[in-house]
Order: sequence, then C-alpha cells, then structure tokens
Amino acid sequence: MSGIGRRAGAILWKDLVTEVRTRQGFSAMISFAALVLFLFSFAIGPDTQLLGRLAGGLLWVAILFTGTLSLGRAFQSEELAGGTRLLRLYPGDVRAIYLGKLLANLVLLAALEVLLFPAAAVLFQIDMLPHAPGLIAVAALGTFGLSTIGTFFAGLTVHMRARELLLPLLLFPALVPVMLGGVNATDGILMGDPMGRVEGWVRLLVAYDVILFVVCVWIFPVILEE
Amino acid sequence: MRASVRAEGLTRRFGRRWALRGIDLEIASGSVVALLGANGTGKTTLLSVLCTLLRPTAGNVEVLGFPLPSGGDQVRTRSALMTPSGHAYEELTGIENLRFASRMAGLRPAEGALEAALEAVGLSEAAHTRARAYSSGMRKRLELARMRLRDLELVLLDEPFVSLDESGVALVQEAIVAWRDAGATVLIASHRVADATLHADRVVRLERGVVGTAVSS
Repeated sequence: MSGIGRRAGAILWKDLVTEVRTRQGFSAMISFAALVLFLFSFAIGPDTQLLGRLAGGLLWVAILFTGTLSLGRAFQSEELAGGTRLLRLYPGDVRAIYLGKLLANLVLLAALEVLLFPAAAVLFQIDMLPHAPGLIAVAALGTFGLSTIGTFFAGLTVHMRARELLLPLLLFPALVPVMLGGVNATDGILMGDPMGRVEGWVRLLVAYDVILFVVCVWIFPVILEE
Repeated sequence: MRASVRAEGLTRRFGRRWALRGIDLEIASGSVVALLGANGTGKTTLLSVLCTLLRPTAGNVEVLGFPLPSGGDQVRTRSALMTPSGHAYEELTGIENLRFASRMAGLRPAEGALEAALEAVGLSEAAHTRARAYSSGMRKRLELARMRLRDLELVLLDEPFVSLDESGVALVQEAIVAWRDAGATVLIASHRVADATLHADRVVRLERGVVGTAVSS
C-alpha cells in the first residue's frame, strides 16, 4: 500500500475503533434518523400513496440531517487528542488525513443507510427489494457526495467557534445538486422510472461527485495551514 | 559549523499581535539548546514554526538544511515535537496509540518494538489500557515513547517536564542524552530552568514579549 493509502487507512482504523468503543455517535445518528422518519410519517398521516410518492425526498432529508450530525464529529477526536494540526506533524501528503476521514464518514453513513432504507420501507409501506440494485447505486453516489464535501467543510470549520452552525450553512447549499440527483433518482427508481429520467439524475450525481472529490482533495492541504 | 536551525529575521504574527519579531538564530547540529523565557515570549510559536505547524509571516528559516515552508515534508520526516499536554487518542490503548503513530510516520516497527517502547517509559502495565484512563504524566510518557520509535535529527520539546514525577523527568533527561549521543539536535522550551539546562550546551532566552533575543550561555 502506498504511503498516502497506508496513512489514510490508519486514520480510518483509528476513527472506526473510536466509534465502536464509544458508540455515542452512531447511536445518536440512528436515533436521530429514526426520529426524522417518524416525524415525517406522522406529519403526513396514514396516506400510504402520498408517503410512497414522497419517500425519496424524506429518505434523503433524513440522510442529510443525520449525515450533518455525523460529519460535525469527524474531527472532534483529533481536537480531544490535542488538535487536528498535530496530524500534520507526520511526514507525507496531508491529503491522507482527508482521505482517512472521508472513508470513516462513508463507512458510518453506509452503516446508517443499511438500517435506514429497510426502516423507511416498513414505515412508508414500500417494497424496495425489487429496486435494491438501483437504490444501492444511488445511495452510494449520494453518500459519496455528502461525505466528500461534508468532510471538507468539517475540516474547514473545526477551529471556528460557531462550527455547529456554520457546517450546515456551508454544507446545505453545496449539496443542492446531490440532493436533487438523489431525491429524483430514488423517486424514479421506486416508481419504475416511467419518464426514463433516472439515468440523467445519476449522471448528474456522478459528475458532481467527481468534481467535488477532485476539488476537495486538491484544496484540503490549504485549509490545514495556519 | 553545520546548523540544524538557521533563522534570519523570523517573524510570526497572529492577527495584530506579533509573537516573533525578527529573530536571528543559528543552532549547531547535535547540540542541546534550552529555550527559556516568560509566558508569551514566543517559545511555543518558535517551536511551531520550526516543526512546520506554523508558517513564518516573514523572514528566512532553514531547518536541517531545508528552507521553510517549501521543505516542510523533509523536515517532518526528520523531526518531532513533544506538546505540553501530551498527544493521545483517548479511546485507543497505549499500544494502539503507538501503532497508529508508527503507521502515520511510515514506520514498520519490529515485533515487540512497541511493547519495548512502552516498557522503556514505564507504561508496560498500562499498555492495553485506554488512554482516557491515563494521567497527564502517563500521556507525557506515551508521547516520549512515540518519539523514541523514530530516528530523529531534530527534537523539539515544548514543556517536556510538566506533569511528570521525578522518574518521568529522569526519563526525559535520559532521552535527551540519548538523542544528543545519536547526533540529533534537541531544543527544549521550558520554564523549569534547572531541568531544561541540565544537559544544555547553550541557552537561548526570548525576552520582552514578542521581541526575541538569542543569547549564548
């Protein structure tokens, strides 16, 4: 494994071990996501047809809110250990820090979605199983976009006083294309793609993910400079 | 004389406050230097610039022959900084903290090397205890073990004696001698004058707040 890969892997390992041992972050994520889904479900009422039509949007709002909660914690373990800046003291490309944190966020969000999609299927009474491959692909693309820009902004705001407020303020506008693509592609897949528009939304997700990843990896070293 | 550190007109500003203003300093390779001064005189800022955590606002700085900031990665490969509070991940055990540090530093320690490093700083019994249960002195010992895993050319110690008991202070002193004997340059920033100067070849005093003055003992 290359130096950058080995160091990114070390950060991934450390963050996941920390998460498994504390369980605070993931438990809070699951509870919060379930709460969001229940609230929407209660607010909309027992109209299962309407719930089915809105399922894509509701799912992605739950993922976005919960993801923001998780991303905000991405650099907290570093601050408790003495500061994110101390990771910069290790030799090698500092992009390894970004990649390690990004991978850890991806794993956590993927684990959340593994629970969230079946929960939404039960709650909204939708049969998701026949659409599983398409839904998994769209969820993966959307989650990658969310984690890519979210990890970047979490690193950017880690030393700011109002970071809990700033992170969503920065993140939500930047995620508009991801949300548009995710919601529309999910809805299209669940409805059997009657208009044949899913492919277009998936292309948007892929293109935006690539752009976000390249830009974030490129700029990340600058945001750690003091 | 080959210099490990060469600074000319080194300044560093935080907003409107000048932490370092025009420091001229040359430190010979293989020497032990005590960096003394009252609170707020810029000792930590100077160490942070030398270890590449902070960029100088102005001036020329060369560390181990590499100009900063462009030669930062070469400097980081050959140097390490001990922080005042000790750098440890609370949810990892002592041995896991060392394993993480060695992976990040690109090391492949031999079988039993991590255990030996912890034993050398008196932490073998706490090797499999999470660092959250460590006292501040134990964290400092863990940081010392982490630093001693690497072959260093420049060792920067920021308040290395704080939080340590007598045996811990003796361990740091032993490490300073070991680094010096191995040819490394050691820079010790501390308020504990007697401890900082015990093995020092030279004393550099930062005075009058932001104005730095280099003095030979």
